[in-house]
Amino acid sequence: MKEIIQYIRRKLSVRVSLWVVLFAAIIFILALGFLFYQAREAVRQEAISRATQILDKTSLRVEGILNRVEVASDMTKWLALRHPDQADSMFVYSRSMLQNNPDFYNCSIAFEPDHFKERGRYFSAYTKHIGDSLRTIQGGSDNYQYFFMDWYLMPQLLDKPCWTEPYMDNDVSTNTSEMVTSYCQALKDKTGKFIGVINTSLSITWLSQTISETKPYPHSYSIMIGRGGTYFVHPDSTKITRQTIFTQTIEHPDTALIALGRAMQRGEEGIKRMNLDGTPSYVFYKPLGKTGCSMAIVCPESDIFGGFDRLRHAVMTIVVVGLLLMLYLFIRIITRELSPLHRLAKEAENIASGQFDAELPDFQRIDEIGQLTQSFAGMQQSLVKYIKELKDTTAQKASIERDIHIASGIQMGMLPENFPTKEDRDDVQLFASLTPAKDVGGDLFDFYFRDDKLFFCIGDVSGKGVPASLFMAVTRAVFRTVSFHESMPDRIMTSINMTMGEMNKTHMFVTLFVGVLDLPTGHLHYCNAGHDAPLLVGNEIHELQCDSNIPVGFMPSWKYTLQETLIPQGTTIFLFTDGLTEAMNINYEQFQMERVNEVAARALAQQQLEPKQIISMMTDAVHQFVGDAEQSDDLTMMAIQYMQPQNGAKRIQSITLDNDTQEVPQLNNFVNEICKSAGLDEISSSQITVAIEEAVVNTMSYAYPVGTHGSVKIEVTATKESIEFTITDSGIPFDPTAQEEADTTLPANKRRIGGLGIHIVRQVMDSIHYERMGNSNVLTLKKQI
Amino acid sequence: MRTIKEKIRKHPCSVLMLFCLMFIASPFFCPFSMAQDTKPKVGKQSQDNEFVFTPQWTAQAQFAGYYVAEAKGFYRDAGVKVKIEHPSSTEPAMSRLRQNKCQATTLQLCQAMEIVDGGIPLVNILQTSMNNAMVIVSSRGKDPLTQKGAKVGIWSVGFGQLAICMSIKDHLDYEWIRFAQNTNLFVAGALDATLAMSYNEYYQLVQAGMKVSEKTVYRFCDHGYNVQEDGVYMNRDYFEKHKEQAMRFAKASRKGWEWAAQHPEETLDIVMSYTNKANIATNRVMQRLMLKEVLRLQVDRESQKREFRLRPDMVRKASQLMVENHMLSRPITYEELMPKK
Repeated sequence: MKEIIQYIRRKLSVRVSLWVVLFAAIIFILALGFLFYQAREAVRQEAISRATQILDKTSLRVEGILNRVEVASDMTKWLALRHPDQADSMFVYSRSMLQNNPDFYNCSIAFEPDHFKERGRYFSAYTKHIGDSLRTIQGGSDNYQYFFMDWYLMPQLLDKPCWTEPYMDNDVSTNTSEMVTSYCQALKDKTGKFIGVINTSLSITWLSQTISETKPYPHSYSIMIGRGGTYFVHPDSTKITRQTIFTQTIEHPDTALIALGRAMQRGEEGIKRMNLDGTPSYVFYKPLGKTGCSMAIVCPESDIFGGFDRLRHAVMTIVVVGLLLMLYLFIRIITRELSPLHRLAKEAENIASGQFDAELPDFQRIDEIGQLTQSFAGMQQSLVKYIKELKDTTAQKASIERDIHIASGIQMGMLPENFPTKEDRDDVQLFASLTPAKDVGGDLFDFYFRDDKLFFCIGDVSGKGVPASLFMAVTRAVFRTVSFHESMPDRIMTSINMTMGEMNKTHMFVTLFVGVLDLPTGHLHYCNAGHDAPLLVGNEIHELQCDSNIPVGFMPSWKYTLQETLIPQGTTIFLFTDGLTEAMNINYEQFQMERVNEVAARALAQQQLEPKQIISMMTDAVHQFVGDAEQSDDLTMMAIQYMQPQNGAKRIQSITLDNDTQEVPQLNNFVNEICKSAGLDEISSSQITVAIEEAVVNTMSYAYPVGTHGSVKIEVTATKESIEFTITDSGIPFDPTAQEEADTTLPANKRRIGGLGIHIVRQVMDSIHYERMGNSNVLTLKKQI
Repeated sequence: MRTIKEKIRKHPCSVLMLFCLMFIASPFFCPFSMAQDTKPKVGKQSQDNEFVFTPQWTAQAQFAGYYVAEAKGFYRDAGVKVKIEHPSSTEPAMSRLRQNKCQATTLQLCQAMEIVDGGIPLVNILQTSMNNAMVIVSSRGKDPLTQKGAKVGIWSVGFGQLAICMSIKDHLDYEWIRFAQNTNLFVAGALDATLAMSYNEYYQLVQAGMKVSEKTVYRFCDHGYNVQEDGVYMNRDYFEKHKEQAMRFAKASRKGWEWAAQHPEETLDIVMSYTNKANIATNRVMQRLMLKEVLRLQVDRESQKREFRLRPDMVRKASQLMVENHMLSRPITYEELMPKK
């Protein structure tokens, strides 16, 4: 079966043919069904009419003779009642009845016990045919007590003339028996008293024969039942008088047969369709006059519809054969018509295998197959063209991918690769990782050391891919350039923003966090431009407080705020981009800050606060959370752990002076003491004292215009290797490093006034650096020991 | 002048008694009766030592045990040459017994008691029935106990003593309509109810399409009238002279019944051969139902066994009922019906 279905699915010709034949079959079935139904109904009506006519005819014949019996009985009754006391007259009346009606079986005029005293208990004038003659006798005796017979009792009990159930009349004298039915009516005297019964019997043999011979169809038959359902006519002679119509239903209930029997018992007339002895049949039934009997003609359906069924079978055979022939022809014709498609299919396979120049067959047809061939040829040409274009595009794409790969290498190369560990430095160690979502990404981080300070930044450019990577590269370059001469993060950020904003025609932006960690002191200056706030993981875990600043690139004029804090020893600053908190798993759930805090807490608990350890734990946690989900954003993390320097005890001292030159001696004493305590010789000490004095007096003179008051703070940080002086004032911006130096090669009278102080400072100190931090001028002077 | 019908209606018991007396008295007037002859004439068959057995009705499963005993050779094995001859309309069973045309017949207990009361000593040599089979079937879906004064059919040959007792006792005053046989009058609607045997007429009514239910059927056995019916009786004089033969017949008959109970279908085959031979208008379905019911009635309600014995308590009950209703002139005892010890 499976093979057949597969074959049909493979063969279009078979499928189409089957559909056509199926529709044809449906039309045939509907049309023939209607025709057969109508024809069958006509045949049925004909059968009903035929059977009904026969029933009516038989019934009329039966009623004719029954009426004769009833009339004759009435007349005899009239005569008997004229002389109810003359017994001998009864013999005459009884005999006359049969003389006048030779087709009657017998007649008896029976009286109540002792009606005629002289005749004894019994008196029944009984006449019966014996051959061609009549025999009249007195019929009652002790052995035949007629008082208990149905024919005697029924008219009394029913109080009306009636026909008895057919019964076997046995004649002992002649040892003969006959199935008879009797019409009996009560005799009543003038006072209305019951005195006897007139009984006229009719043999039902002729009736049985008449009914039995009724055969409207070859296999039809007739039945006759009495009031009690007893068969008196039936084709199966063993059932006659022995069985009733209900007998077989006692052991094998048959509601249809019971319904028929009851209807016939009630004297109804009608038609029933039912199974009789397993044969579907029509039963036409009608009562037989007033006898209480009912006859039925049973016509097997096979007889009624025999001719019709033969015609139907012939037509159905022709239709089936015709449909099969049609199926065969359709399959052949469609197969032939579709044969060019097979060739076309083979050529298409050749083209599909890469032979784009395969030659298509020319069928010289203008039908759908011809059109298909032409379309196929057009498709072949287009295919060749598109394949060529596809090759070019693929080559271009490969070139771009190669370029991007190189760009990725360059981008990664921009980022620092050597991270300071505790083996390298005793004051700080750092580690960072950047995992781009695509070949190139928009995240960035950077750091470097200058002047005992760690400059670092982390950022995230809007968007992804090549544009973001270019923006990132520019941002990182600008950070390096700006931070090289600016030490305060707000100024660095402002400069970057200004530079990036002016050249930002694509309206991209970058969130950026810039920090400068003073390594000797652990003092952190920082500025945050819309970036995620870093975590501080030390004795406790908390976010670094960050001001609300807009990301870099939006407004070139934006002034970023500076923030500062002291980083305790052993604390790790954990910085990250939103690729960490927004990492998603396959259910589109984000990693979120809560999980970052959890991992940080675990790291703290396990004392895994070294940068590499904490980033490794964070990376593992993210990978475990994300699972097989695709990375959606660049992920960058940077960790900085600050440690107290071990190789040099710091000494920090400070002094604050008014902007008054009278304070200079106090300054000189302060500086001189520090130099001595640092172990400098007198020459070096006095040179440094002079240089600091020049710088402070310069500041007092220029930072505070004449008439204004202010203070100058001198802060000293001394280590084994160096002494650093930081001079801070809150005056107007004044950068002494921008002053032109005095030309000491000229004679004193030709020199320009000013500029000598900064010249001395540069000569004595190893480095000089100015910054405007907030509203303060900060000048840093450093001397290596 | 009152008609027979009026007499029956007003004095059913006295009329029944009259019929019984007629049966009983008839031997005194019959030139061939054994009662008239001081030396009972022995029939030809009897002279040949042939034992003629006449059941009280035409061939049917009611007598299956006897047919089996004959067909299976139980009588022959017992050394009794039995011939089963059924009664005819002109020669009823009791008539045959009186005329010595048969040596044994089946009778209902009440019938036998009436005959003994009439002066003919009988001996019960085998009791087959342990329960009463008589029922009243009512037409038109009515309860027979609510049909006071109804026309009720009764057999003209003398069954139905208990029904008459019940009619009097329960003040139902049924009008008894005596019929010869079959149920035609009832089916034709001429009667309000009819007496029927649960194994015979009852099934005839079912077969005639009548709708019978527990409501329309009154079973005497369930209302204090459970008196045994069929038993095998023979004239006491004959019994005294042929005691051994009688007992062998009884024993073989009992064996026939026991075999019938164990082989109902084969028994049915035997029964049908007898009914076909006698040209009885019946069929296998009816005979199967009859056999089943007759066998059921042979099981004693209390012991749940086929006891094949006359129960003294039932004899007492029947005698008491019939004496009370003037059907017997004196009580008939259990001992009067049984062989003398």
